[in-house]
Amino acid sequence: MHPILEFHRLQTRRQLFGNVSRPLGAAALAGLLGQTGGAFADSSAASPATNPNGGLPGLPHFAPKAKRVIYLFMCGGPSHIDTFDYHPEIREFHGQELPESVRQGQRITTMTSGQKSFPVVAPMFEFKRHGQHGTWVSEILPHTAGVVDDITIVKSLHTEAINHDPAITFINTGAQQPGKASMGAWLSYGLGSPNKNLPAYIVMISRGPGQKQALYSRLWGSGFLPSKHQGVALRAGSEPVLYLNDPNGIDRDMRRRMLDRINTLNEQTYEEFGDPETQTRTAQYEMAFRMQTSVPGLMDLSDETADTLALYGKDVEQPGSFARNCVIARRLAERGVPCIQLFHRGWDQHGALPKNITGQCQTIDHATAGLIKDLKQRGMFDDTLIVWGGEFGRTIYSQGSLTKDDHGRDHHGRCFTMWLAGAGIKRGFEYGATDIHSYNILENPVHIRDFNATILSQLGIDHNRLTYLYQGLDQKLTGAEPSRVITEILT
Amino acid sequence: MPKFGGPGVKPYQPPGLWNEVSLDGNVRFVQDHGENLYRRSIYTYWKRSAPAPAFTIFDATTREKCTLRRGRTNTPLQALVTMNDVQYIEAARALAQRVLLAETDTDAQLKLAWRLATSRTPADSTIATLREAYQQELSVFQADPERAKALLSIGESPRDEAIDPAVHAAMTNVTSLILNLDATLTRG
Repeated sequence: MHPILEFHRLQTRRQLFGNVSRPLGAAALAGLLGQTGGAFADSSAASPATNPNGGLPGLPHFAPKAKRVIYLFMCGGPSHIDTFDYHPEIREFHGQELPESVRQGQRITTMTSGQKSFPVVAPMFEFKRHGQHGTWVSEILPHTAGVVDDITIVKSLHTEAINHDPAITFINTGAQQPGKASMGAWLSYGLGSPNKNLPAYIVMISRGPGQKQALYSRLWGSGFLPSKHQGVALRAGSEPVLYLNDPNGIDRDMRRRMLDRINTLNEQTYEEFGDPETQTRTAQYEMAFRMQTSVPGLMDLSDETADTLALYGKDVEQPGSFARNCVIARRLAERGVPCIQLFHRGWDQHGALPKNITGQCQTIDHATAGLIKDLKQRGMFDDTLIVWGGEFGRTIYSQGSLTKDDHGRDHHGRCFTMWLAGAGIKRGFEYGATDIHSYNILENPVHIRDFNATILSQLGIDHNRLTYLYQGLDQKLTGAEPSRVITEILT
Repeated sequence: MPKFGGPGVKPYQPPGLWNEVSLDGNVRFVQDHGENLYRRSIYTYWKRSAPAPAFTIFDATTREKCTLRRGRTNTPLQALVTMNDVQYIEAARALAQRVLLAETDTDAQLKLAWRLATSRTPADSTIATLREAYQQELSVFQADPERAKALLSIGESPRDEAIDPAVHAAMTNVTSLILNLDATLTRG
């Protein structure tokens, strides 16, 4: 089409839709422009009312239990065997070959598929029963053991992926192949945020002493969704958000004057062209300006009491630590941010597992329990969903040689353990069971799709109805395979 | 840079982005210098686990699949890039230098900057707003030469030292303003 003709036609449309009620106008405009993705692809949306938080009309689909999620993601695949999934009988098999009746020809990674021997390794840690229900927890998680009556441990997670990249992409975006939207981006897209000074999806990265696998910014990316839904990484140091600081020589007053003039000139552009995106841009510049103040305030813990900080352990003094990030997560939760995800690296214990997993646990244990206690004392535990876990578990057999006090474990996707706590989640509960080798699921399998569907449901989202048309398919976080909400773990 | 082809380049980016995600945190980004800082972004080095942040913030496709239609977004993070990224501040400084050397009259300088950025002729009211901005910030930078120097030392390309620093800094402030307008970003 000739550009001038196109311009006039668009002008006519703008005038037309400027005069009708906004949601209808937007829907009709989207239809005319062929924008059938997103909100308008979902014909089952209950009402066309606008969403006060900037999410989709009609969302949440039902009354949410959780106003927000704090997802403590343990990158690398924490060993379920050495933390929560304990069978005392396994000690009888220590050092024996893994029976074929257990492995059943299961595909294993090339890191151990060439091994001549697969000796079973019982955990080299003591386990004790904790809480009202006598839940087994390893000695390397003493603080978590202290809050075991507040959480639901799911021991029957499973995934098809056996290597980090596909596995971590699978659990975070719903597909092993890259390119899909992350869970946080879906939440931002669907629910929006009540806080207009901070992004809806915030990510923080920390690392323990263990072996670290690569991370990928796509794990918090928006994939096919608009980029405003991508997770914003908060970083330790003087610039917590990329490009947050004014350049040298430009102070706040000068920036304010510049924004006022940008607003004036953008208003002239709007009067000339009538494109609402011009006004959006002005609003986004104002939010950027507010973020320049709100983010440093968020990161400054000087208004936290010593008692509160003590809940999280001594690492809290260290910017960039998992403990510090947990405090910031709570502060974000208080500010209404709906999706907060911590990535803690270093759980890939192929070798030197006893030493390294102990170190990993030390970096998270105190703060994780502290976060639960802190949320409880503020009355926020009941409407905050807390999720803990990684992309897969680890093998019962040793990777490399088994010695008196050392061994490794390879990746294991056939079963692994995660836990949830808070909003609408049973307290002091365990779900799913594995065989005594912690190798196969015996009852109540939970695919990571089911797990993700359950997280969405606590936030008031029917995972089958949060869709976005892309490449001819109504994309959703849980993909095309059937999945279900694990209602058995819900109150 | 009018040059074609060549290997990927690594222009400015905030520190630490690669080792935050790389295997065991050992891969460090080493920034290029000289003309490699100013090539078209098609030449920017693509690291899959951590693409150049300004790309991600501006909806660069992830390159895993064909993209039939690019998203149209408008976010606060984009505003932070175009206001604060070294690349954009330096571009504003270079644009300021160009118009200061090309014209002697302030209004003519502002008009040229506007035309170069938006491909349109500014209205009188626009020039009035820009002139007011220039004069106000000029007095700020004249009163505090260190601030002018601080702003002008952003970016590695040398500036023409013959230009009065306060004048150059004030004009840089105005060209940065122009480069952040909707008229430039989506209509330029």
